[in-house]
Amino acid sequence: MGEEVMVAVPESVLKKQKREEEWELAKKQELAATKKKNAENRKLIFNRAKQYAKEYEEQGKQLVQLKREARLKGGFYVDPEAKLLFIIRIRGINAMHPKTRSILQLLRLRQIFNGVFLKVNKATVNMLHRVEPYVTFGYPNLKSVRELIYKRGFGKLTQQRIPLTDNSIIEQGLGKHGIICVEDLIHEIITVGPHFKEANNFLWPFQLKAPLGGLKKKRNHYVEGGDAGNRENYINELIRRMN
Amino acid sequence: MAAAARPLVSVQPLPASLNDMATDHVTTVALPDVMKASIRPDIVNFVHTNISKNSRQPYAVSKKAGHQTSAESWGTGRAVSRIPRVSGGGTHRAGQGAFGNMCRGGRMFAPTKTWRRWHRKVNVNQKRYAVVSAIAASSIPSLVMARGHRVESVPEMPLVISDSAESIEKTSTAIKVLKEIGAYPDAEKAKDSHAIRPGKGKMRNRRYISRKGPLIVYGTEGAKMVKAFRNIPGVEVANVERLNLLKLAPGGHLGRFVIWTKSAIEKLDSIYGSFEKCSEKKKGYVLPRSKMVNADLARIINSDEVQSVVKPIKKEMKRASLKKNPLKNLNVMLKLNPYAKTARRMALLAEAERVKSKKEKLDKKRKPVSKEELAAAKAAGKAWYKTMISDSDYTEFDNFTKWLGVSQ
Repeated sequence: MGEEVMVAVPESVLKKQKREEEWELAKKQELAATKKKNAENRKLIFNRAKQYAKEYEEQGKQLVQLKREARLKGGFYVDPEAKLLFIIRIRGINAMHPKTRSILQLLRLRQIFNGVFLKVNKATVNMLHRVEPYVTFGYPNLKSVRELIYKRGFGKLTQQRIPLTDNSIIEQGLGKHGIICVEDLIHEIITVGPHFKEANNFLWPFQLKAPLGGLKKKRNHYVEGGDAGNRENYINELIRRMN
Repeated sequence: MAAAARPLVSVQPLPASLNDMATDHVTTVALPDVMKASIRPDIVNFVHTNISKNSRQPYAVSKKAGHQTSAESWGTGRAVSRIPRVSGGGTHRAGQGAFGNMCRGGRMFAPTKTWRRWHRKVNVNQKRYAVVSAIAASSIPSLVMARGHRVESVPEMPLVISDSAESIEKTSTAIKVLKEIGAYPDAEKAKDSHAIRPGKGKMRNRRYISRKGPLIVYGTEGAKMVKAFRNIPGVEVANVERLNLLKLAPGGHLGRFVIWTKSAIEKLDSIYGSFEKCSEKKKGYVLPRSKMVNADLARIINSDEVQSVVKPIKKEMKRASLKKNPLKNLNVMLKLNPYAKTARRMALLAEAERVKSKKEKLDKKRKPVSKEELAAAKAAGKAWYKTMISDSDYTEFDNFTKWLGVSQ
C-alpha cells in the first residue's frame, strides 16, 4: 500500500522516517540540556576546589602557628589524634589464621600491597590490632591522599572497577551525598566527613606497586626495625615509594 | 473462521471440446482451512522417514550359513592360530579355518535376522499433522517450485479444475487437459528425466528412476479419470479421502505439485475440519494450531505497537579509554579539577616571586656596603650596646654597683 505520489513510497518507510526525526530531536534536546548542566557544574566545582585549597592552606598555617606559639611558651603542641588511617597489606595470602583472614577481607585488603583508607574508632583500632603483623598503617597527609586518588583512584559502580577519569563517574556514585568531583572526594576523605563511609566504600581498594627501595623487614614490627604495624607519619614516605 | 473470510480459488474450466461442458464459466471455491495450516518440515521429515520404512521387505542371511561344518579348534602347541579348523582330510577344505567372521567361508559377524524391527509406528496425530502440512505446502508456489516442479505456466495455486475432468476416459484427452491448465511442462520434465539408476539398485529390480510430476487428486469414488491419467509418466492420481504423505511430500520434501478437482477440494473441509470445527471424517480431529499466528517478524517489529515503545538505537557505543595520570597530564587534570590551572599558575608565580626576592636579597648582601649605610649600621650597634649596659629597668642595680665595679 503506498501513497499515490509520483513514486509510491511505502508507508513503512514514511513511518520510519518520522520516528527517526523524533528520536533525533529528542537526542539533540537532551544533549543541549546536559551541556548546560555540565557548564554550571564546572563553575561549582571550580569554586569548591578553590575553597578547599584555601581551607587546606589555612589548616597548614594554623598548625605551624600553634606549634610556634607552644615553642615560644616553652611547652609543646600535641597534634590531635589522627582521624584517618591508610592501611597497606604487606604480606601474602598463604598460611594465615582464618580469623585474621576474615578481618583482612572485611578491611578489603585481599591482595598484597592493597591499600585502603580507614576511619579511626575503637572498633577499627581493635581490628587493626589483630592484623598488625600483616599490615602497615599510618596517618596520610594531604599530598598522599591527593596523589593516591588522582593516580590510582578507581570507583565502584554497579560492582565494577571504573577508573576515575571524569567527575561524572563520581557524581554517579556519590551524587546523592553531595560529592560531585574529585576534590569533593578528597576533601571528604581527608577531613573524615559525614559521608566518609560511603565515599571510602566507593573507592576501590588501591592497588599499589611494590615499594621502590624495598621494605625493611616484613616479619618484624616497625618499632623493631621492621615494617609491620603503626608507623604513624612515616606512612607518607612509604606511599611515595609505592604510588 | 467463517468461510467467507477465506480467499476464493477459481476453478479452471476445461475446454468445451470435451464432454460438452460449456455450461458454466469460471466458478470459485473458498480456500479450505487445511491450506492455512502451519507448515512443519521437521514433522513431515520425521513422519516420512518412519512411514517409508513400513513397506520394507525383510532380508537376512541363511541361519545355517557358515555353520555347516564340524570344525574344531586344534588348540595350542601346533604352531597355528587357535581358530576352529575343519576336521577330516583329503580335500583343500580340511584344516581351513571355519566359523569365525574373519574366516573364509565362515559365518558373518552378527548374521542379519528377519525379526529386525522393520516397521515403525507413528502417532496418528503426527501422521495427520504431516499430511496437513504437506497439503498446505502444496498451495504455496515458492515451495512447489523449490521442490523442482515446473509450475511457471500454471494460472493459480492451488490449481483446481472442474469436475468434468473426473469423467475423462482417454489418456489423449488427459494429456490435452494437462496442457490446457499449464501442468504439462511438469509432466514433460518427468518424462524426460527417465534414466537408468546409478548404483547397485540397477540389478536389484530398481533399474529406472525418474522425477515426480503432478499429483491429481479427485473427489468422487470410482472416477474414470484414474485410468486415463495413470499411464502418463510422472503423473500420479489419488483420492482425496486417502491422501498419502509419501505422495504429498516425496523424499520428505514439502511442496508436491497437486492438481485438485472441484469436488476434491470441497471435500477437504469435511475431511480435515477447520481450526475450531472438528473434522467429520476423523473423530475429534482439529487442525493443528501454529506456535505463532503471525510469523512475519519484520512486520511485527515494524508495527506501530512495537515501535511506539521501542527506544532509539544507540549507534556509538563509547569504549573505555586509557586512564591517564592527572598528576602528570595537565589536560586530564583540568577535566577533573578546573581549579588546578589557577592553582598551578599561582604556584608558579609565587615560585618566581620567591626566586626573585631571594636573588635580590643576596645581591644586596654581596654588594659592597656604602659609607652612609656602614656608618648607620655602626651607630645602631653602639646604641644597642648602650641599652644593654644601661639597663635602667633593673631596680636593685644601685645596691650592686659596688660589687661589679661598674662605672656609670
